[in-house]
Amino acid sequence: MKNFSEKIIFEKANDWIENNQKVALATVIQTWGSSPLEVGSRMIINENGNFLGSVSGGCVESKVIEECISLIKNNKISQIIDFKVSNENAWEVGLACGGDISIYIEQITQ
Amino acid sequence: MKIKTLQEILKYKSLKKEFAILTDLKNGDSEIFIPNKIIKGEFSKYLDEIEIIYKSNKNGILENDKIFIQTCKNPIKVIIVGAVHIAEYLIDYAKSLNFEIIIIDPRGFFTSKEKFPDTKIINKWPNEAFNEIETNSKTALIALTHDPKIDDPALQYALKNKFFYIGALGSKKTHEKRCLRLIEAGFKNEEIKLINGPVGIKLGGKSPSEIALSIVAQLVSEKYKN
Repeated sequence: MKNFSEKIIFEKANDWIENNQKVALATVIQTWGSSPLEVGSRMIINENGNFLGSVSGGCVESKVIEECISLIKNNKISQIIDFKVSNENAWEVGLACGGDISIYIEQITQ
Repeated sequence: MKIKTLQEILKYKSLKKEFAILTDLKNGDSEIFIPNKIIKGEFSKYLDEIEIIYKSNKNGILENDKIFIQTCKNPIKVIIVGAVHIAEYLIDYAKSLNFEIIIIDPRGFFTSKEKFPDTKIINKWPNEAFNEIETNSKTALIALTHDPKIDDPALQYALKNKFFYIGALGSKKTHEKRCLRLIEAGFKNEEIKLINGPVGIKLGGKSPSEIALSIVAQLVSEKYKN
């Protein structure tokens, strides 16, 4: 049971694609400890950096958007990004809540 | 994910069909899972585990560390009896909380399309209206007219069909009288106790939007009780 209607996210992704924009989808696939959003939370990002939805409480979104744009630019299919308090991302975009999350990003392709 | 899969998701969502999205985290493949429908390739090897996760309404990675499943079940249906002012705010809140709202009100002048855009309104008496609505133990009822002629049949229907949340607007006195009428109608005390009356959690507010907030807060807390 999602709090934010998933339908809106997928509809927006479809709109962007119909307007010839490249789109990536980010999904929370695993969480440990007190992570802000539950598994299955989603965000979509287009090549211009516009986004809808969320994968954390604002803690890691900027990094996820950056990774999605480079995924689109390099024309890669998918990638997993882990955010942990203890890793090198911590000082930059670490989770203030102390939880760890794993996010799967993928391009929506023909 | 392929555009084809995205469009399939949108199709099932608009048909209000329940399904799951399967993603192969290693190679990026995705596929839609629907119970009793054959799935292809790699995913079919894990069908048993997929079905268990799907049935428990969960999202997560399978034990093989390779496949992610996201279940997409229909939102909880909330039936509001009475297209009154509070209902307008309930609809506002429900939108962001992902509830599906249906309004029943036999009184024509209340149910203008302007006040309730994009909301299903059934302009009939509850007993007739329920013939048009599919309900189950995941359905909720909020009775707002505090007119026994309209509220009581709806409350009786919700009790008989074991709705997971039943709320009825009205003061303590109004609710006591309501309970007596339900006892006369043959309902047991344990059943009647399932009605949240006076409806909502105590916030202290009295305005229609504040009452709507207190009702919706109670509804959400009941949703997570089980």
